[in-house]
Amino acid sequence: MALLEVRDLSVTYSPRDAAAVRAVEGVSLTIDDGEFVGLLGESGCGKSTLGSAVLRLLEKPAAVTGGSVVFDGVDITAAGEDEIRPLRWAKISTVFQSSMNSLNPVITVEAQFADTFAAHPGCLPPDVDARQRAVDLLEMVELDAGVLRRYPHELSGGMKQRVALALALALSPRFVLLDEPTTGLDVVVQRAILDRLRALQSEFGFAVLFISHDLGTVMEMADRVMVMYAGEIVEDQPAEAMMSRQLHPYTQGLLGSYADPRDAELGVDYVPGRPPNLADPPAGCRFASRCQVAVDDCSTVHPELLPATSGAARCLLVERAGGTPVDAELSGRFVAARPATLDEKPVLAVRDVAKHYRVRRRGGHTVKQAVEGVSFELRPGRVTALVGQSGSGKTTLARLITGIEQPTAGTVSFTPSDGSALDVGRLRGRRLRAYHRHAQLVFQDPFGALNPTRTLAYALTRPLRNHLGLSPGAARQRAGELLETVGLSPAAQYLDKLPHQLSGGQRQRVVVARALAPEPTLLVADEPISMLDVSIRAEIIQLLDGLVRDLGIAMLYITHDLLSARLLADEVLVLKEGRVVEEGPTLQVIRHAEHAYTKLLLDSIPNPRTGSTRRNSRAGGTAGLPAAPVIRG
Amino acid sequence: MTILLPTSSAGDTEGTEVRVIEAARMSRVPGWLVILWRNGKCRIGLLMLLVFVLVAVTAPLIAPYSPREDAFAGALGPSADHWLGTTARGEDVFSQLVHGARTSLVVGLVAGTLSTAIALAVGLTAGYLRGIVDEVLSFFTNLVLVVPVLPLMVTLAAYVPVKGLGLIVVVISITGWAHGARIKRSQIITLRTRDYITAAKFAGDSTARIIVREIMPNMTSLIVVGFMGACLGAIGGEAGLAFLGLGDPQTVSWGTMLNQANTGGAMLTGQWAWLVAPGVAFASLMTALTLVNFGVDALSNPHLREN
Repeated sequence: MALLEVRDLSVTYSPRDAAAVRAVEGVSLTIDDGEFVGLLGESGCGKSTLGSAVLRLLEKPAAVTGGSVVFDGVDITAAGEDEIRPLRWAKISTVFQSSMNSLNPVITVEAQFADTFAAHPGCLPPDVDARQRAVDLLEMVELDAGVLRRYPHELSGGMKQRVALALALALSPRFVLLDEPTTGLDVVVQRAILDRLRALQSEFGFAVLFISHDLGTVMEMADRVMVMYAGEIVEDQPAEAMMSRQLHPYTQGLLGSYADPRDAELGVDYVPGRPPNLADPPAGCRFASRCQVAVDDCSTVHPELLPATSGAARCLLVERAGGTPVDAELSGRFVAARPATLDEKPVLAVRDVAKHYRVRRRGGHTVKQAVEGVSFELRPGRVTALVGQSGSGKTTLARLITGIEQPTAGTVSFTPSDGSALDVGRLRGRRLRAYHRHAQLVFQDPFGALNPTRTLAYALTRPLRNHLGLSPGAARQRAGELLETVGLSPAAQYLDKLPHQLSGGQRQRVVVARALAPEPTLLVADEPISMLDVSIRAEIIQLLDGLVRDLGIAMLYITHDLLSARLLADEVLVLKEGRVVEEGPTLQVIRHAEHAYTKLLLDSIPNPRTGSTRRNSRAGGTAGLPAAPVIRG
Repeated sequence: MTILLPTSSAGDTEGTEVRVIEAARMSRVPGWLVILWRNGKCRIGLLMLLVFVLVAVTAPLIAPYSPREDAFAGALGPSADHWLGTTARGEDVFSQLVHGARTSLVVGLVAGTLSTAIALAVGLTAGYLRGIVDEVLSFFTNLVLVVPVLPLMVTLAAYVPVKGLGLIVVVISITGWAHGARIKRSQIITLRTRDYITAAKFAGDSTARIIVREIMPNMTSLIVVGFMGACLGAIGGEAGLAFLGLGDPQTVSWGTMLNQANTGGAMLTGQWAWLVAPGVAFASLMTALTLVNFGVDALSNPHLREN
């Protein structure tokens, strides 16, 4: 019998103010002892809800409305709290995306371990010292014993997530549920944690359900991958088979959005459209409206999850073809093609800029050098990417360029096509406001960048009325045109909507439209796609690319993601601890990286192909070793 | 799919506002009222409050006599002519009781509004501008918070030469805003660093506009909550001051009734209704507002709303 058996599980959200939503619909899955299973899906597909249901952590208004979850012979959906309590953490444990926030801020790390051991008295052998066990556990996640005395706020995000992982493994569970365990962490930190996780899993043999929207990490880590779409599992295959032969058209679309930035020719596919509304799911295949190869029956017949080649797929076409993959003929494709260098005059010149922050410490100040001696230029119609880890000073540079902060040394000068140079560092009040007509910002988080109580029309008309002096009527008309420009049409349908009525990708389009409203000459995009689903990322990149070329805007693109930098940028600056360590044309920097730090960034990108070589090497008898990053030239 | 997004934490008023707007779009009455009405206890409170408002508005129609008409025999017990008897000076207790509802509600409304307005102005300015402005305003807020309110009210009411309801309202307002100001200040401090505020600056909006049009709509529930609390405090404050004899003796209010019943020796002459009636009326109004507050909790914390 499998360790975890989920049968026909359905979960429904029934909030008071809205229609009931079947977030998880008839999901069946089994996980064997020691198996590493990945669950891949876009936001809103029900993957985290499924995870919560397995742990029985659902809260109102969500409830299990059908099916069962059996863990090691115990029916979790039916058992009483007293039966489940001894199971939790001792046999099933979890690491959430926000696990770093699940550490109690007022007690030390050691006390958190002590609590865990105290809650399950039988789990620790009597001859083992709890403190020693905690030290061993921390060692497993590559933290030293000194961490035990620290409070959570004294640790970095990556360290906290390691502590959370060590806590999850404290009682040697048989099953660990990992819900986006590295999302929100830096690429380099993510790489270290993933490597560690894989090594620990090989060593101790616990089963894992790894939930993530990040295709690269799931494909690299998991032995078997399940793909979820609109509350259903649509494909289930061993990772290697899925890499080479995706059965479902949706999976093909997802994998198409991944590419290695070091490839000579680079293009990404994407699946246009959005998932269906689960309050009113379509009768037929839930993917039919976005599927390029859908036939008439797809919109009427709901397909079943049936065995196909090496796994299972939920697709009528696969079923009819006798379980062989279909070719999805993806329609959206974005190819990285950079036009030849144009000799335009730079609109913005950054010269030897430095920014120091005084950090108050006990008994005095220390100076933190956020940015040191950075120089570059931005030209119309060209994209410059600023690449680096979190804390490398990228966002500080964005704030200096947009005049929100003033440099400690050096100058930022802006030269509009029809005027004299402006020293951005000295602008205040009214003149700074006037400068923002030329320099606009695209935000990282589409959920935080739009006021939840204001309609799109309001958000878009403000810059038009302030900067361009349009009348209310003209501004509304222009706002509609802007929405059309960013691909939200018909605009009349969107103008009076509130942000929460839009999806993440649509919101980001609105954020882009608002930045474009005053017809700026300079656009700073601060990680504009990092919070979006993979399949939407390519769309937004394509949108930004088109706008930059068509409108001749100079753009600074800030990112930690080298794939998007490769797709969008003409030039790349690699930033480490506030200094530029490498710069040059994108292709050259990424394909022939010189600096060790650039190479480290490149190697940290989760790579499905590395996963397959690792799996092969593991099969060849080197089980238990952490995956070594494969460096290719 | 928006409902699948993680629900907001208790301190996040933006999530609340979105739900309030949603509720309003569906039913045409203000969204916060819809949410209040859904709560059983709160519904009882609102209905009780409605009764008090109706009584106050139609007081001259309901009351059989003028509240200050003293042509009757003094110190009568309850009878068919005088349902609750008469005072020692020969006024009709029931008429006074009905007119007293006006005073309580007017004081609650006016003083509640005033202290909410002061709290908003101080809290929003301090929280948004930070720096030296915040230091100064926070100092005064803390000062008002630490000064014992009742002695201050008593002192103010006793030593200011003018008497009357206006004075009571002013005294209650200037002693009651500090708590609300602190809450609003801490809320705006969390809201002011949001990306959409930076975006509004980039869109060229002025500071005043950002506060009023971008931030305030995201805390209306908090403002409603603060207003309810201020009303409750103001009504209690007025009754207390009047009972202590610091109110205007010419104003008819439950507090002055209690005060006069006390000094008139209502207990000794067996006029229980004179003493009990204003007490019961006052207690019911407070109960009504407290019941409404159960719903207000749901308004300020979305997690309480799903049950």
